[in-house]
Amino acid sequence: MQAKEEGGQPARPEARRGEPASDALLKTLTIPGKLTTSAATRDGTKRREVEARLDITRARETRSNRDAGFGRLSLGDIMTMKKLIGGLVFAAVLVTGSFAAQAQKAGGTFVFLVQPEPPSLASYLSTSGPIGLVAPKIYEGLLDYDTDLNPVPALAESFEVSEDGKTVTFKLQKGVTWHDGKPFTSADVQFTVMEVLSKVHPRGPNSFREVTAIETPDEHTAVFKLANPAPYMLRALSAYESPMVPKHLLEGQDPRNADLANNPVGTGPFKFVEWKKGQYVRLDKNENYWKEGLPYLDRVVGRFIPDASTRTAAMENGEVHYGAYGAIPNVDVVRLREMDHIGVTTDGYAMINPVSLIEFDTTRPPFDKPEVRQAISMALDRQFLIDNIWFGYGKPATSALSTNFAATGLYAEGMPNYPAKADVAAAKKILDDAGVAPDADGVRASAVLDLIPYGEDWRRAGEYMKQALGDIGIKVELRYEDVPTWLKRIYADYDFRMNVNYFYQLPDPVLGVHRHYGTDQIRQGTHFVNSSRYSNPKLDSLLAAGATEADATKRGAIYKDIQSILAEDLPVVNLFEMQFLTVYNKKLKDHETSALGAYGSFERAWLDE
Amino acid sequence: MNHSVKRLRYVLKRLLQALPIVLAIVVVNFFLLHMAEGDAVDVLAGEAGSATPEYMAELRQKFGLDKPLPVQLAIYLKNVLSFDLGYSFRHEMPVSQLVLDRFVPTLLLMVSTILLAVGLGIVLGLIAAVGLNTWRDNLISVFALVTYATPLFWVGLMMIVVFSLNLGWFPTSGMENIAAFHTGWDRVWDIAHHLVLPTITLSLFYLALYTRLMRASMLEQAGMDYVTTARAKGVTERRIVFVHVLRNALLPVVTMAGVQVGALIGGSVIVESVFAWPGLGMLAFEALFARDLNLLLGIFLLSALLVVAVNLVVDIVYSLLDPRIEVS
Repeated sequence: MQAKEEGGQPARPEARRGEPASDALLKTLTIPGKLTTSAATRDGTKRREVEARLDITRARETRSNRDAGFGRLSLGDIMTMKKLIGGLVFAAVLVTGSFAAQAQKAGGTFVFLVQPEPPSLASYLSTSGPIGLVAPKIYEGLLDYDTDLNPVPALAESFEVSEDGKTVTFKLQKGVTWHDGKPFTSADVQFTVMEVLSKVHPRGPNSFREVTAIETPDEHTAVFKLANPAPYMLRALSAYESPMVPKHLLEGQDPRNADLANNPVGTGPFKFVEWKKGQYVRLDKNENYWKEGLPYLDRVVGRFIPDASTRTAAMENGEVHYGAYGAIPNVDVVRLREMDHIGVTTDGYAMINPVSLIEFDTTRPPFDKPEVRQAISMALDRQFLIDNIWFGYGKPATSALSTNFAATGLYAEGMPNYPAKADVAAAKKILDDAGVAPDADGVRASAVLDLIPYGEDWRRAGEYMKQALGDIGIKVELRYEDVPTWLKRIYADYDFRMNVNYFYQLPDPVLGVHRHYGTDQIRQGTHFVNSSRYSNPKLDSLLAAGATEADATKRGAIYKDIQSILAEDLPVVNLFEMQFLTVYNKKLKDHETSALGAYGSFERAWLDE
Repeated sequence: MNHSVKRLRYVLKRLLQALPIVLAIVVVNFFLLHMAEGDAVDVLAGEAGSATPEYMAELRQKFGLDKPLPVQLAIYLKNVLSFDLGYSFRHEMPVSQLVLDRFVPTLLLMVSTILLAVGLGIVLGLIAAVGLNTWRDNLISVFALVTYATPLFWVGLMMIVVFSLNLGWFPTSGMENIAAFHTGWDRVWDIAHHLVLPTITLSLFYLALYTRLMRASMLEQAGMDYVTTARAKGVTERRIVFVHVLRNALLPVVTMAGVQVGALIGGSVIVESVFAWPGLGMLAFEALFARDLNLLLGIFLLSALLVVAVNLVVDIVYSLLDPRIEVS
């Protein structure tokens, strides 16, 4: 549903910027029938059977989602609706035509950009981005997620949640083997979740915090016993978030020291072959892959090219086929997207849900006053940032939660203090009312603004903020350090006043948002948690309630309260919902088959050469 | 005493002298690097997205970062003296293996660059000096000035735009065609093909330097008394230039080349980054930002050894060029 939300937006940048209208229409129009069409034509009958089995279990969950999604679609911009109807016949021809004409071709080497070079391939230890690009092609999760964020079978052919929500039973695929030939069984699932993910994965202890035990009545059944219902857990079972790892290669040793980190052995469509440091990591087709006839590609190679301009040149030249997560900078994408052989998409990031923001030290002046934080939120022109620094790729933030959570009914509209365009007068008034008066030079407060050291865009954003906040009398100095220094300053030393950053909100607020606000998330020395040191007992109890509430409507109400509190207190000011860009060579087909996008397995991707 | 025995003794003596220097370099580097804020654990945990303080403490203990600095230094020195460069926790690999893996591409790029830069620099400098104040001299001087003043990364990117994107003669980046995975002679040819653009880019800067040095040195030597004497003896101009002046004029160029080997490792970071060349410079650069200090120290140590070795070679080349200089 979240993917739909992004893909079907009327104001989608590519569509606006002259991408052939039919393409945009096609995406919008195929959505309602997408599930059945794709299942039937792309995967053959086997998948459809599995789908059917799964349908029963997820019917209850998806019904509400789907309704919400349709609601949003029909509510979409009326202007574009007219055009939609005009192109309907044309698009319908395209839909049927495109599936019939494109028979997948097997073979070929797919080369994609991995930037920067990953420290290891241990996705069970680290959620580091570049690891996520490579490891999910080797390891698999229990579930995968389609582009509408519905769970689809992966290593689990089906799952069932008990009435009280405290027992989740996974039926595992039969005949799955690890790349070294050993069979994959429920013992691997138990070991992975209890001994690896719950213990050493950065987000695992949170995702699986309610899991008390996993029972394995037979080799193909894993029963998760939960202390409380954990609806978010079912969204955290992808190959990227919770990879299943081989028990026989990790048992009896510290997973953090295991050789598996550099020589991964999974069940996935591609096998690890070699990693030439500084050059590439090479994966070859898994001939014994359990999904018959897949994968199509013979080989997948991840290339490391440190220089952004060279990455662009390599993409232009056809030496690489695919670059995601900003591997090609926006400034170059603007040029590349005009080329016939190159495509650009913002799809494939719905599970990640990145939001840029400012964190404040709420314990010290001047940002201990909520009014000052409100004024800053009012004074920053979010649309300006998006249009001028991110080349139109992004969406102004309107609440503590991303609008992508509208699909699950958690996002609340109409929160105060979140204008898309700056309102300088209102910001000044807030400050005046709060008694933060300007001195002789017009300065009300001054502070250093730290910037996330992840590229030039953030520096430019900082320059803008310095000017914008100067307008309301907040004098800002910019600081841009290297990654370790910055991390230590923000999360270990708390030696900052305001910090520009971005967080992944992930597919559920429990996984990605709670860590920002909970009192229990003030964890000195831990990165990307509550560095604002904001503590509000009322909010804490709401967060706890939101985590365990199984009923979707009640859960939505809880999160509405949470967002109201946060919109007033603003320990963190969200700036905009980021849209990462995936740039690809149009020779590459079917690379967008899962919600995970670049963090997906690419089992069905193929090259039209 | 026999000449070659003498030379061997000289080499041994020099190596012995180098030992304390290298050790001093290690110690200084060690403290210098530890002055940087943050450590490898901060970076690892930061990239991972989130990690508990207990986990980070555990990692620090595992990496030996919880011990006081002097103890860490003592352990490191002990390891280095037993030829163990330690372990890179970021790459989960022994430092020696990492460094040696990347050393070959670095050496390849370095040797080809020095050969091209020194070779062509000598020829251009010679031409310029012989045709002093002619159009050749002017052309070469302007060329040297322009290439010296142009930033390396810009030259690299322009090379890619012209020769890879527009003409399609060379690949944009990398050391090998990784879609093909060549073997045998095909692979050698493939690597040579990939080596062309980085070598030219990196050479241009040094080429300018050697050209100017060679030209100045030739002119200086040409005004010496021995040239007048030779001319008075009736030696041909050709012989004067190529036998007398050239050999003498080469000495400063060779000295310069020796000094610059060390700089070449550092200076190649930009070229390695632009062309995605898997060399030591990039490795050092990444290691710095990851606070992978073991790896950095290993690279510095290797560079120090390299500079020592090259300077030794340069001294020996001196004695070959100019028999008056004796190794002793």
